[in-house]
Amino acid sequence: MVGARTRGARTLARGRPWFLVVPALAVVVVFFVLPYANLVSMSFLTPGKAEPYVAVPTLGNYVSALGDAFQWWILWRTLKLGFLTTLVTLLLGYPLAYNLARASSRMKGLLLVLLLSPLLVGVVIRSFGWMVLLADNGLINSFVKHWGLAPQGLKLMYNEFGVLVGTVHVYLPFMVLSLSGALQNIPPDLELAARSLGASSTKAFWRIAFPLSLPGIFAGSLLVFVLAVSSYVIPVLLGGFKVITTPLLVVQTAIDVHNWPGAAAQAVILFAASLVCIGLYFKLMNRAMRGLSA
Amino acid sequence: MTRRRWLARAVFVTLIALLYGFLVAPIVIVVAASLNAGRFLVFPPAGLSLQWYVKFLNSEPFIRSFFFSLRLAALTTIITTVIGTAAALYVVRYARRKDALRMLLVAPLQLPGIMTSLALLIFYYAIGLGGTSYVGLLIGHVVVCTPYAFLTVIAVLYNFDRSLEEAARSLGAGSITTFRRITLPIIKGGVISGAVFSFITSFDQFPVSLLLSGVGTTTLPIQVFDYLRFSFDPTAAAVGTVNILITLAVVLMTERLGGLESLYWGGRQ
Repeated sequence: MVGARTRGARTLARGRPWFLVVPALAVVVVFFVLPYANLVSMSFLTPGKAEPYVAVPTLGNYVSALGDAFQWWILWRTLKLGFLTTLVTLLLGYPLAYNLARASSRMKGLLLVLLLSPLLVGVVIRSFGWMVLLADNGLINSFVKHWGLAPQGLKLMYNEFGVLVGTVHVYLPFMVLSLSGALQNIPPDLELAARSLGASSTKAFWRIAFPLSLPGIFAGSLLVFVLAVSSYVIPVLLGGFKVITTPLLVVQTAIDVHNWPGAAAQAVILFAASLVCIGLYFKLMNRAMRGLSA
Repeated sequence: MTRRRWLARAVFVTLIALLYGFLVAPIVIVVAASLNAGRFLVFPPAGLSLQWYVKFLNSEPFIRSFFFSLRLAALTTIITTVIGTAAALYVVRYARRKDALRMLLVAPLQLPGIMTSLALLIFYYAIGLGGTSYVGLLIGHVVVCTPYAFLTVIAVLYNFDRSLEEAARSLGAGSITTFRRITLPIIKGGVISGAVFSFITSFDQFPVSLLLSGVGTTTLPIQVFDYLRFSFDPTAAAVGTVNILITLAVVLMTERLGGLESLYWGGRQ
């Protein structure tokens, strides 16, 4: 690969030590690829009466899932949660990323610890923290009632708002890291040049920094959307089984109803729906990028 | 003009402070609730107490699942660090189809844990391993943790100066000695970051454990989850605080060894 080599390196390269990659490859192929392939093929089998499935091929799971208005509504709610999470993390994440990208390197270490703190705590503990804050007799409500701001208290949890708080909180760091990565690559001189040529700081931002940060916006949004539509624990704990999303429905169908083919079909439909959203998104992204360069 | 700019700056700094407050809020609240005397954290607060820690230490299910999770995370970390590092060495140095291999090995990060958990559960039944076994749970954790160990070592290897190894070999060192004395010390940072990330991911793992852990193989997050379904009490906060302290200790150790950024980007940039 790289120019001249000594004898030792050549010997190493000749006998390619495939045994190095075999264990990891075996784990991923046998316990990841095969189970998912099995899940997809399961979606084409018949649900059983006493057993979870019968080995008779059918398209019935897709027909019944796609013909069920309730499931469409659940899917719509799941995708809506994804959109809203993406939008809010983008709005909150942009100022954070801008600040992070311009911070001194000493400050940056501290800010990174704070930024990544949601990821260093398990999802259950994290959700419990939110429950203490948002519950009907939680901290925020006791504060609100103490000062007589809302005598009946506020409904902050076990609804879509509570779930949104949880998803925005944990996916915000992903958005900020994507954005600040893009912002960091913009030389500050560019904005200074615009300023020295008479642009106001607002104009310099919208005409220079913002367009150049678009790749970060796109990457971050994609990541957050994909993570948000598939989240399970946050809707369970902060939605209290009142906010059913597709991942919850899939698990319920598989574990409680014991209908594996039905659950598998629902899972495949969720993946397909998010792929469609991502495809649409790429189209929009291309158009926006072309609009900028034109 | 300057006054207006000063005002804008003040508004911006306040906004940033509020946003960081939002990010750390649940952690601060968990710690506060664990030290609070009352059953509920209310305003005004009820006073300090360590009773929830006493309750945690006296709770047999919590202690059992705590040590179970520690052991599971340790074993997962050992396995993923070894196979992840080995795979990274192969992919960067010898593989012909680097990108394809890399995509395949990080695939478990791309799909949601809860779906992976369900797929594994159904698969275990199909191959006769049964729904909830220790081996099955361990494999699930290894599957979702391997990409971290793999990715962090990959990042370090790309910046690796091969001539150092070649120098050692030309001076007569064998391939094992070269690996031990030259390669390993240089990629140490990436290996440690990967191990830390594996450990935290396994120790805090919820979705994968949810469907794969059963009687006798209950991890700490699952135990806390079950507890919270029936009682909303600050014992969970005490468990959470201990959990946070362990994670913090591990992360601070890594920060001294290789920089926190390496956890997320794999090696100092």
